Amino acid sequence: MLPVWMENTDSYVPPGGGGTFAVKTIRSISAAVGKLQFQQGRESKPFLPAAARLLLLLALILLLSLSRHLLVLLACTALAMMALAALPPDRILSVWKSALAAALLAFLVLLPAMLLRPAGRGNNLIIIWKIFISVQMVSIFNHTTQWNRITSALRRLHVPGVFIFTIDISLKYIVLLGRLINDLLTSYLLRAVGKNKQKYTSVGGVMGVVFLRGTEMNRQMYEAMVCRGFTDDYEGL
Amino acid sequence: MSCMELRNVSYTYPGEKMPVINNLTLQIEKGTCLAVRGDNGSGKTTLFRLLNGLAFPDTGRYMFEGTVITEKYLKNNRASKAFHKKIGYLFQNPDVMLFNGTVYDEIAFGPRQMGLPDEETDRRTRDCLQLFGIGHLAEKAPYHLSGGQKKRVALAAVMALNPDVLILDEPMAGLDAGSRAFLHDFLSQLKKAGKTLIMATHDEQLVRDLADQVLVMEMPNMEMSDTETPETV
Ligand SMILES: Nc1ncnc2c1ncn2[C@@H]1O[C@H](COP(=O)(O)OP(=O)(O)O)[C@@H](O)[C@H]1O
Ligand SMILES: [Mg+2]
Repeated sequence: MLPVWMENTDSYVPPGGGGTFAVKTIRSISAAVGKLQFQQGRESKPFLPAAARLLLLLALILLLSLSRHLLVLLACTALAMMALAALPPDRILSVWKSALAAALLAFLVLLPAMLLRPAGRGNNLIIIWKIFISVQMVSIFNHTTQWNRITSALRRLHVPGVFIFTIDISLKYIVLLGRLINDLLTSYLLRAVGKNKQKYTSVGGVMGVVFLRGTEMNRQMYEAMVCRGFTDDYEGL
Repeated sequence: MSCMELRNVSYTYPGEKMPVINNLTLQIEKGTCLAVRGDNGSGKTTLFRLLNGLAFPDTGRYMFEGTVITEKYLKNNRASKAFHKKIGYLFQNPDVMLFNGTVYDEIAFGPRQMGLPDEETDRRTRDCLQLFGIGHLAEKAPYHLSGGQKKRVALAAVMALNPDVLILDEPMAGLDAGSRAFLHDFLSQLKKAGKTLIMATHDEQLVRDLADQVLVMEMPNMEMSDTETPETV
């Protein structure tokens, strides 16, 4: 028999405020997970196959970091700008964000050197510029290539199976755990009506569950691999 | 010689006091079907881990085709591959079985691990895609599929190895009516083909149609009961 309080309807007036913390956390996680999923499904018409683009990317970064000619730097910049211009605006913004963050970090790291040794300033600025362009190129590649295309590109370049495999599994985990965090926080939000003084504890609990679930799944996944013939000697993908 | 045989097997999880499996004796003949029933937490999954050589009895022994299966025996890579090639295991949670970038690679994983030639791997993979009606998903990432689709992919991945024994942990859970009917039919065909089936299920119809033997898991003791062709243990 149901307890009496369950048979009746509560008259509940929520106190004002609260809840925004969880809402914000969920929004940012959903956004991150959503981006991953979006990348998965996206198949923009590539001007070059993924393997060729990956090679091109590596070659350009190598060239950029080894070359001392200003012309090479300018050419790479132009190339990156051209590729960037082909992206939709929201993606340009996100490419620039990560590139700027990297450049800023490089600037902070090099700042003492630039202050102490003014003669090297020009070189240091060039390094920062190179980092800005390299990160931009990696990020563009990232935005235009599906993850499974990247792994198959690596495969075609004869990268050992174990590396590709690790990448694949990590990606899968990011998506699965991201979804799990999202679900847990959403269910928390749906039950946490009104103010909640324990919000940090709750998020701690969510992280704890995610960790435990992650380790358990990790073990089971390893077993599933063993059951299908995996013996730590990876037979090419 | 039976296909699988457990003799007075007990198993306790490390750090726990109560054994999950307590003095269990069980014999499974080739080509028969064993249904395992019992409430949640009664040890069905644990039993399957023992049968798959993922855990080992504390006391008693487990024999597969006359060979005693021990941790040491399975340390040998060739023995391990041969053993796992013969036994297919569908996990309760298909998520843990799917770790490749595409559905195609997922199904091809097992045959590749076994070192089958490329053409044979490709042929089996395509056949499985078709058999389980998931051809249109071949290039998709498995972790973006729905629950029922994941289960089909996981089963296809197991069947690509063409195991002699198929162990299924709650295969019907989370499937829609169409998929249930498909699976029911598929398992009957497997049984007709002479495969050995072991399944944990709450599906009455499936048990009635296929099971030769029913094992009821109970805490703390277990009892055997027989349907159709009785077996002495
Ligand atoms: N890794 C583990 N460590 C400790 N106890 C476990 C572990 N896995 C399962 N158990 C316990 O063993 C018992 C049987 O679990 P399980 O075999 O999963 O049951 P079933 O599959 O029938 O639901 C449960 O009481 C469960 O709590
Ligand atoms: Mg179970």
